[in-house]
Amino acid sequence: MIIPITIASSSTNPKLPPGLAKISHDEIVLVELQGTLEVEYNHPSERDGKLVGKLKVEEATNKPTLRIGHHLLEGKIATLPKPLAVLIRSNTTSSAPSDRVYVHDQEGDAIMNHIDTVTANWNVVAIVKRKIVFYKRPMPIVGRPT
Amino acid sequence: MEHDLSFSPSSSTDGSSYKLMELPQDLCTLIEDSFDHKSTPLSFSVKGQPGEDAVLCTSEKTYTMRSVVLSNSVLIVTPPPDALSTDFSDGAVVIRDQVNEIIELAPSVPKLYKLGGMLRGRDYDEHQEDEDENEENENNNKFTYEEAKSQIQASDAELDHGLKVRHILNIRGELRPISPSYLARLLQLFLNLLVSLALSLDAAHVERLSSALADEHQIPRTVSTQIMSWFGDIKEGKWKVNIESVIKEVGLETLRRYKDEPIEKDILLAKWKGLVGDTYECFVSLSLLSGNYLALPNDMNKLKYFPASSLPVDPAPRFADLFLTRSRWKVEDISPFLADIAINSKERDKLLLKFARGTTDAEGVWYTARAQYNG
Repeated sequence: MIIPITIASSSTNPKLPPGLAKISHDEIVLVELQGTLEVEYNHPSERDGKLVGKLKVEEATNKPTLRIGHHLLEGKIATLPKPLAVLIRSNTTSSAPSDRVYVHDQEGDAIMNHIDTVTANWNVVAIVKRKIVFYKRPMPIVGRPT
Repeated sequence: MEHDLSFSPSSSTDGSSYKLMELPQDLCTLIEDSFDHKSTPLSFSVKGQPGEDAVLCTSEKTYTMRSVVLSNSVLIVTPPPDALSTDFSDGAVVIRDQVNEIIELAPSVPKLYKLGGMLRGRDYDEHQEDEDENEENENNNKFTYEEAKSQIQASDAELDHGLKVRHILNIRGELRPISPSYLARLLQLFLNLLVSLALSLDAAHVERLSSALADEHQIPRTVSTQIMSWFGDIKEGKWKVNIESVIKEVGLETLRRYKDEPIEKDILLAKWKGLVGDTYECFVSLSLLSGNYLALPNDMNKLKYFPASSLPVDPAPRFADLFLTRSRWKVEDISPFLADIAINSKERDKLLLKFARGTTDAEGVWYTARAQYNG
């Protein structure tokens, strides 16, 4: 009934381009949208690798913009009220200390998972203190090629 | 510079493999130090049984976890994985996951109260040795330290502290609460030995004490050393005795017999002094037992056993219990029974304001129940 959370000490993951890395963390940037990105597909894998839009952070003003199709979103870089830890699940099949496995549902309650071999392991990979927030309505762009 | 933002090539399988967790300042510092290699590798654990609210435990502290749903969604954006970076333009980034909830953490008290129930009927007393012989039959109702670690929602440090203050022995991994009467008898043996071996209270020789107890009274060394660690500090083979706590435990055992029938204060003190012996009787004082007895309202010299530890932990039911026991209290009489739920006298006065009504008469301030629903 224990889910271990380990703190990754160092990583060899690719780094973000400098413009995005300076926002908060050099590997992960959080982008907050009002609403969600909805994509029509028959199978979730259809959207894999597909282009969503163009993300830009203006050097001089630090103003982020996101252009999706004919729509332009304007945002800002905001400091989080409290730092956020980014956790990644890593499923290990190795010899886990406990032979029973429990996962968590959205309420944070533990639910038993009946698979004996796979252990849900969570890794803290980053602490993020600032994020990009697109808080305005999308504006239609007229007369520009996408 | 413009960055192409795409779904990750593995976004359909990556989904819900990310979580965001809000960090209190102390945890944030802890993790940052670990990232910077300033501290030893760190790991936390999430503990909880089905039906319980999960908690996050560090090695020292416990936090309750609460999932908060966001109306906005947060995209977790990283560079594309190295192996596939050629498929993307320069400076491209990918969406790994969309998150719609964050986990909030709030510091919490360890949930040690379950220990009582788990260990009911597992008391350790002097007949323990015979029991060991047919140990095999009893394997199924054993409760081990490892089980406590996984089932009790508390950090390791808090669990260890909880076992210590509850006087729970760890015998070859199995948890056994020592029976209070046996503990008091053992403590008397300790006191006698301290005198007969002429050991100092500041640095008593642990090995001499435990071998004397093992040889003369067949008390296992693991039991005697654990008891010593409960009532003082062991450092480099020397026991710095917390004599007050030893005397208190012996006194509690004397008092415990007078739950229904009161005892005269002077008789209690005399019995108590008799048990601790001449050398240490100067430490005997009724104030050590504060919060464990109640004087009869009509005769202040008659005392009854009334432990604060058996009262409810939540303030409201505790006050209800206290006012059932006695309809009105003087502040000095009620405070010992609030000491374990209020950190200081300011907190105590706040509780009194909230749950009791003060009235003043010739004898001073009396506290009565705030709402008398039953008329």
